[in-house]
Amino acid sequence: MRRLFKGSSGIVKFTRGLGQVGYGLPKRGWIVVAWKEFLEAIRDRRTILNVIILPLILMPLIIALPIVMISPRTLPPKVMVVVCDKNATDLVNYFNSISKEADLSIKFDCKGNYTEMILNGNIDLVVEVPPGFSENLSRGRSSQVFYYYDPLSTKSSSAIGVVQEPISSYSRKVLLDRLKEVNLSIDYVNPVVAVAKQVTRSGGEVGTGEMITAMILPMMVGVIAITGAGTFAIDMVAGERERRTIEALLTNPVSKMEILLGKFSSLIVLSIISGLSTLLSTLLGITLSLELSLPGLVSNQAMKMGLPNPVYAILGILLTVVLGGLTGNAVLVAASSFAKTFKEAEQYVGALFFVLMLPMMIVPYAPTSLHPLLRLLPITSLAMFARDTILMSDLLAISTSLFSSLIYLIIFLILSAKLFGRESVIFG
Amino acid sequence: MSAVEVKNLSKSFGEVKAVNNISFDVEEGSIFGLLGPNGAGKTTTLRMIYGVLRPDSGSVRVLGVDVWEEPRRAKSLMGVMPEDTGIYPRLTAEENLIYFGKMRGMDEHKLRRRVSELLKILGLEEKRFTIADKLSKGQRQKVAFARAILDEPPILILDEPTLGVDVMSAREIRNMIVDYARAGRTVILSTHNMWEAERLCTHVGIISEGKMRYVGKREDLEKLYEEKEFEEIFLRMVRGEVIEKVV
Repeated sequence: MRRLFKGSSGIVKFTRGLGQVGYGLPKRGWIVVAWKEFLEAIRDRRTILNVIILPLILMPLIIALPIVMISPRTLPPKVMVVVCDKNATDLVNYFNSISKEADLSIKFDCKGNYTEMILNGNIDLVVEVPPGFSENLSRGRSSQVFYYYDPLSTKSSSAIGVVQEPISSYSRKVLLDRLKEVNLSIDYVNPVVAVAKQVTRSGGEVGTGEMITAMILPMMVGVIAITGAGTFAIDMVAGERERRTIEALLTNPVSKMEILLGKFSSLIVLSIISGLSTLLSTLLGITLSLELSLPGLVSNQAMKMGLPNPVYAILGILLTVVLGGLTGNAVLVAASSFAKTFKEAEQYVGALFFVLMLPMMIVPYAPTSLHPLLRLLPITSLAMFARDTILMSDLLAISTSLFSSLIYLIIFLILSAKLFGRESVIFG
Repeated sequence: MSAVEVKNLSKSFGEVKAVNNISFDVEEGSIFGLLGPNGAGKTTTLRMIYGVLRPDSGSVRVLGVDVWEEPRRAKSLMGVMPEDTGIYPRLTAEENLIYFGKMRGMDEHKLRRRVSELLKILGLEEKRFTIADKLSKGQRQKVAFARAILDEPPILILDEPTLGVDVMSAREIRNMIVDYARAGRTVILSTHNMWEAERLCTHVGIISEGKMRYVGKREDLEKLYEEKEFEEIFLRMVRGEVIEKVV
């Protein structure tokens, strides 16, 4: 190292002379860009909010809280059984069986303003066993039991399910007694019985969990993939433009394509982190709410997230997150290229989110006959790819949805690259 | 050989002709000041030289390398400090320099040593791990200057390097520019500070309304106008007085 000249400021010192060559060209400029983008993203408070706090804390709460609040187990409804027929002791015994799911009180006094008590929230539901209930039954007639509830209160409405169970059981018991008296079997009153037979590719039985998986998971994975790293995508273009850092970046010996590739690589990592954390927190939310509201149901085999082949499903989910992340980010990068500031980009992208999510919402509800078409359309092809892989559809279906997703991805990438390279985008 | 050769460069933005057919050469080892009032076309010219703005017509060669035919090679020969410092606010001073060093293909070990050295001589050692957002304007400007000279490129291009910087920092930056040129490297800078141009530049190019009004040695211009005040010469040039005499 040498000082430049006598009497100079001595601030700049050169380690090599002018004759030395080898002014460097980066070998993998995109990796350097990707690392820097990732570092910047995790330093941003919005990242912590979007990737960690929102999915991991809020998502389980959003899912579980409403279910927990109306769950008879966590917050048992206050049920009052008003018995105006002192002979209806059998029925009263049946009501005693719900004492674990409801805050039950049994009253043998018919007087009182129950309407007011329900509307004030003092009682959630009142069951009235009217006078003459037992007499009607003993004469072979039907008897009525009234229940009073507030249709605007979810807790009051959910209490109906709790009281219907003992009433149905009691009714069945009376029916069986009557049939016995006339020497008839239950088949006499149930001449036709409908039996459901499931049709599955695997040949096995499909549980409720598997049905949820087939309906919700592909859509969810697709939505997460597309919107997961949205904030970062717009920050990497509109934010960079707003902070006026892009010009200095372009003075380096790297191409715009390398820069874009680096940005996309970082977005993919963020998409995967965001996607998986949202996915995990959603599953956590569902499990938590089921466990709290309906104990024992989660451990029931039928309610498990049934997957024909978990390895295929995980691969499908990961590939959808990557493909969807790239597609969504390419669309968002293209859209935010038109904005001068991050805030302006957010406004453009806010509307675009709905445009991207709408096709995803269609997939779970679309009839099977529309599936071939959905495999060919932009965005829906992604959700179909996730669905086809998770449910192990035939190879043609999987490759069709994958191929069309890739085609759309290439189109969107070319579009975003063209827009990103424009001078008006770089210099505003 | 000229360090930079600019030939018939033109650039329009819509109806506005920002740069209109300008040509000039910059000698190796000189400090070339591109001078002109606001909106004269200085920044547009510099952006075309350092390869971020494509000219409508004309060419730029740096040390014989065409900027638009071999952009990567040409860019590796130039260290640039644009008008906006382009410092990443969420990275520390050190991280900013390391990022750009890697982007210029510098070896990791040498890069870290060079970054430490530059931060030390620029008086930013204590700010090494400070997020750039927390640095003062002068400190950010110095980081941007360090970034431009990281790999000691033969050509240094500075767009308004001391604009908005405090007196002390501006002086340090000016000293560094002089040092850089005295080591045989070429410096091109734009400024509208005539005092600065007079003290720093060996050569000047005066640009006004997108046209080059004068290119040559600063001393020659002073002799030509027989003026002592460089600022006065500049004003007369920009007003269009005796343009025929010099161009």
